[in-house]
Amino acid sequence: MNHFCKEANQLQSDGFERKLTLTERIQLRIHLLICGACRNYSDNIKLLHTVLRDLRKGGRVDESIALPEKDRTRIGEALKNDSNS
Amino acid sequence: MTKETSNPEQWLNDHGDYLYRYGMSKLHNEEQAADMVQETLLAAWRGWNNFAGNSSVRTWLVGILKHKIIDHIRKEIRDRNLTEAVETDPTSSLFNADGSWVDAPRSWKENPEDLCGSDQFQSVLQECIGKLPDKQQIVFTMREVIGEDSDTICKEAEVTSTHLHVLIHRARLALRTCLEFNWFGGSRQS
Repeated sequence: MNHFCKEANQLQSDGFERKLTLTERIQLRIHLLICGACRNYSDNIKLLHTVLRDLRKGGRVDESIALPEKDRTRIGEALKNDSNS
Repeated sequence: MTKETSNPEQWLNDHGDYLYRYGMSKLHNEEQAADMVQETLLAAWRGWNNFAGNSSVRTWLVGILKHKIIDHIRKEIRDRNLTEAVETDPTSSLFNADGSWVDAPRSWKENPEDLCGSDQFQSVLQECIGKLPDKQQIVFTMREVIGEDSDTICKEAEVTSTHLHVLIHRARLALRTCLEFNWFGGSRQS
């Protein structure tokens, strides 16, 4: 017997990228009812998707990261040269 | 427009760190992030006349930086000649021949707010993204880290939308496994 987990996971990922067909939605829903592992998978990738979306919307950035001094100097000079030319 | 706001060295002072952090959060590479800051400020200076003034200078600069980062990723695709790269199916090691899981995914207890607020989690996430095969890494980064739309990514990476979905699916599978091992359980379990 084929457990359909592999196919179900492709469908779950596709659900973020496109609208699933009715058949696909039904197949997926039935599989999730009977498969705890795939329910966990579903929750895991939803969490991952949400975290990445929140980070994209300007989630917390590490304030301790700063432009290194040598780069700052280099960029400053590049700007000066450019505005003089 | 005041004289001060149209001074690129002032922009470097006021927004340099911010732009660098933004670049680091997308590229995870110090040298590339600094280069992007330089390119952004040079482009901004040359295109100062295009600044409409209906957003802040910082927002305008971040907009330019975002385009520079996408250009950079495009260039990576060309340089690494990824269109020729062979993409192997990583799912084979995760599933048994009958289609069932080799290691069933576990339930993750943490919530998005805590994860987004954790520098440690973000660095594990970045590491895991960095371990993805080239093509998966690039399309996943464009899609989920930068938030580019599918049509643009298909064009840039020269893939069909079906192939793009397969690549993103594989990236999710691999990332999930990596995160479970390095963060949610696996090796950290006591």
